[in-house]
Amino acid sequence: GSRVRLCVVKMGPVEVQFSLLHMSVYSQSFSPCGRFLAAGNNYGEISVFSLSAALSPDASEASQKPILTFTAHDGPVFSLLSTDSHLLSAGNGEISAWSWVELIKRVGVEHLKIDVSLRTSLEIPEINTMVLSLKDNSLFVGGGDNNIHMMDLETGVFKSTLQGHSDYIHCLAVREREGELLSGAEDGAVRIWDSRTGRSVHCVEIYKYEECSRPQFGKWIGCLATDSDWMLCGGGPSLSLWHLRSLSPTSVFPILGCQRQAAFYQDLILSVGEGGSLNHCLLSGEVKAQIPCTPPCLNTLALNGTEQRVLTLGGSSDQIDVFTNLSYRAFSLSF
Amino acid sequence: MASEALKKRKPKVIRNEGGTPEGKRGRGEGEQVTRRSFDSRVYNEEGELEGRDPKQDYQQYKDTCAALAKLMAEIQELKSNGAKDGSVEIEERRRQSCVHFMMLKKLNRLAHMRLKRGRDQTHETKQKVDVLHLQLQNLLYEVMHLQKEIGKCLEFKSQHEEIELVSTEDFFTEAPAEISRPHITKEDPHQLTLARLDWELEQRKRSLAQQYKTSLASKEKIEKGIEVKKEYLSSLLPGLQSIMQASLPLQEYLSMPFEHVQKQAEVAHHLPPPLYVLLVQANAYGQASDKNLSVFISGDVDEAKALSKPPEDSQDDESDSDLEEEQNTKRRRATLGGQLDDKRKEMLKRHPLSLCIDLKCKDGSVLHLFFYFLMNLNILTVKTKVSPSSQLCGAVSAGELLNPETLLNCLYASDHGRETPNPANRYQFDKVGIATFADYISDLGHPYRWVQRLGGLQFPCDSPESAVTGSALSANHMESTMKLLRGRLQARLALHKQFISLEHSMIPVSAECQDLFPAKVLSRLARWTTITFQEFVELPMVQHVVKAGLAHETDLFFMAVLERGTARLQAAIVLNPRYPDATPLYSLSLLWKGERSGRTDDNLRAMESEVNVFRMELQGPRPGHQLLTNQLQRLCMCLDVYLETESQVCDGVEGPREFPREKMCLRTARGPNRLKPFKYNHPQGFFSHR
Repeated sequence: GSRVRLCVVKMGPVEVQFSLLHMSVYSQSFSPCGRFLAAGNNYGEISVFSLSAALSPDASEASQKPILTFTAHDGPVFSLLSTDSHLLSAGNGEISAWSWVELIKRVGVEHLKIDVSLRTSLEIPEINTMVLSLKDNSLFVGGGDNNIHMMDLETGVFKSTLQGHSDYIHCLAVREREGELLSGAEDGAVRIWDSRTGRSVHCVEIYKYEECSRPQFGKWIGCLATDSDWMLCGGGPSLSLWHLRSLSPTSVFPILGCQRQAAFYQDLILSVGEGGSLNHCLLSGEVKAQIPCTPPCLNTLALNGTEQRVLTLGGSSDQIDVFTNLSYRAFSLSF
Repeated sequence: MASEALKKRKPKVIRNEGGTPEGKRGRGEGEQVTRRSFDSRVYNEEGELEGRDPKQDYQQYKDTCAALAKLMAEIQELKSNGAKDGSVEIEERRRQSCVHFMMLKKLNRLAHMRLKRGRDQTHETKQKVDVLHLQLQNLLYEVMHLQKEIGKCLEFKSQHEEIELVSTEDFFTEAPAEISRPHITKEDPHQLTLARLDWELEQRKRSLAQQYKTSLASKEKIEKGIEVKKEYLSSLLPGLQSIMQASLPLQEYLSMPFEHVQKQAEVAHHLPPPLYVLLVQANAYGQASDKNLSVFISGDVDEAKALSKPPEDSQDDESDSDLEEEQNTKRRRATLGGQLDDKRKEMLKRHPLSLCIDLKCKDGSVLHLFFYFLMNLNILTVKTKVSPSSQLCGAVSAGELLNPETLLNCLYASDHGRETPNPANRYQFDKVGIATFADYISDLGHPYRWVQRLGGLQFPCDSPESAVTGSALSANHMESTMKLLRGRLQARLALHKQFISLEHSMIPVSAECQDLFPAKVLSRLARWTTITFQEFVELPMVQHVVKAGLAHETDLFFMAVLERGTARLQAAIVLNPRYPDATPLYSLSLLWKGERSGRTDDNLRAMESEVNVFRMELQGPRPGHQLLTNQLQRLCMCLDVYLETESQVCDGVEGPREFPREKMCLRTARGPNRLKPFKYNHPQGFFSHR
């Protein structure tokens, strides 16, 4: 925990403004109680916001500021994940655990650091995504070394490595009931893995399907989401809804920019990415609405299902947009 | 029987009389009545007791007992002889013995009564003794207390015992009769002591009076001495002056500037206080730590003398004229304009003397600072002039760099020197109709806050958080301000030189900074121009900068165009006057296969942050004069990386690559927003991600 310090160290006010001007928010995670939001940025800092204060009727400018900001990693924080008690943050080749109880008390002291033994090379590969599998209490980590690592949460030991992608992993999604793991990567493939055997069951190369393909943007897959038999994926190719049993695209959404995160929400599909708008899509393939947001490009979307029902969006800005209603931006939290 | 009857009667009485006290009284009366009636009937036994002798009674008791015993024995005898119970003899004897028994009973009763009386008497006497004993003890206690008091009085010490008095014999011989009063004092030692004390007092009074007289005399003597010495000193002055006069040619001959310094000091007396403080502090600082700083006074000394001599009169005049003018304005509004002009002039009047500080830099260029004091506004202003060491060739874009109007802007953060720092001035301006001080700056000079601080003038700030440096003492600011002034001039001269080569599309990179960039950079600077604030804020790519409040009218604005092949990168640059302490801010827009800006393209945004945020890597040797050019060179480098990696990502459709990959990159994309590797690693020569 010696690296923990306040973000404003040896910086003049102008330098602070410049760093805010060039800040990108990459990751978000709600606390288990749902009243707090942690957000990670490109400078390796994590800020904790109090949603209950920001949403209360007597909220002021100050309640939209973080209650705690600390430097968690040397590189950008691409992924944040909350377990029942801890916040997991991913830096370059390392995962740190922070106690939510302490974060809420404004103490940013590292509890645990796990070195992810990624491929050794001139630079340490980044970790782009982490997902929890509650069924077998394990954490899947995907990043710059093209492999997916499966860690047992009980012991902190890496049990297996899923190899198969030829470029870095962008995103992961878990199908709890089927015991399957989905991964999307820069190489343009979506792979479906059997999480018990660690073998790749299917490999779908989305960019090869004409209805999705967009060669001008590339073939990479930037976002994945699943719900029962359905899968959402997008990135270089258009955002599309797939039926997993037949492995065929059922609808392709006509959204111009590359999408970086998508989610199922009730009977809607929400997605964010380049273009700086929150897209509401219907399962049938129509784009119902595009809600403009503060950041010109969006990286992350988080839905809080528990106490404070909100949707938060972060991107290439120091502001995190908060939606209490899906159809308009309520206010912004800012670093 | 009687008492029983009484007891039975009692409740009746109570009922009849209707009250307990009545009832009690009733009963008491009843008892008394019965006793009296009893007394009258029965002889008074107690009375009889008085008259009897106990010894006699004792004798009688003995006799009776003997008689009784005798009778008993006779009865015994008779009975034993066989006489019957009811016989006359026995009856006779029994009657007699009954009488004796009665007698015994009476005697017994008498004895009891006597005993009771005796006890009562003893008790009564005992009580009397107790009372007397208590009285005795009280008296004893009182005696003891009185004895103590007497002891205390005897122990009392009077202060007069410590005074050493004249002996009794001397006293009677020396003291006058009205004090000694021998007829009383001879007998009474107390009166004697009093008289002796009187005499002592008298003697002391006399001696003190004597002392006072001598002190007065010595004082007069000393005063006279002082008078004499003063006269002597004043007679010395003309002689000294004539010697000074005579020594002038010698001073000139030996080129020793005593006289010059003295004259300056004399002129300095006529300086207004703030300029005087500035002169003293600047001189002191120059002598102590900065040999290249020189200070001199310029202006009309006579006018200053006239101003400083009758200060009260002139003030009176002013207020009078103010009054008159006020009345005039009420009467005649037609001439208002002309009068206001005069009043404005009067208000903005400068002190006839001004101070000039020359700061020489190592390369020979000089910064001239002219300090003025506005008497009626009570503020200091400064004007600037730069004399460069060599003739600077005209770079078009460098025109603003050494403009004396803006050269010293924001020496300290947000010190623009456009508004007067004295809050009182606003009310003064309202009176004469001056909208803002900024209209008069070209004429009067800039009233920067640091100028006021150097002159020891302190004004409260509008915003409490900006009031940082606590002390108003000029000395505390002199060193830092002079360093900032010199740093400002050097930074501007350095920029001036760099701009000349930038206008020739060359980015000068010094040897120390070569390691920051790869040897081969293919993007070139195509154009370097200055733009105005208005032009800047209208650019679409800088809207976020304007919105964030990072572009001010006091900043300098430039446009750089970088080119490689068909790609054109436009960079709009905000140069804060505090450069190089404040980092220049770049905003990018790329014209290549359509237009992209830092807002729409994360990679361009990353390029912006490469130059804007990571200045520590780019500033080169202190104080960082190469920051701007290094930023431009890094931008060229990043453009190379951008174009080379971009064409690769998009291959397949576009046909042959316009920009072949020459830069060594570990990975072309990383992270969720697929950033390109813009960080150059020096000795290995490859590019990696941050």
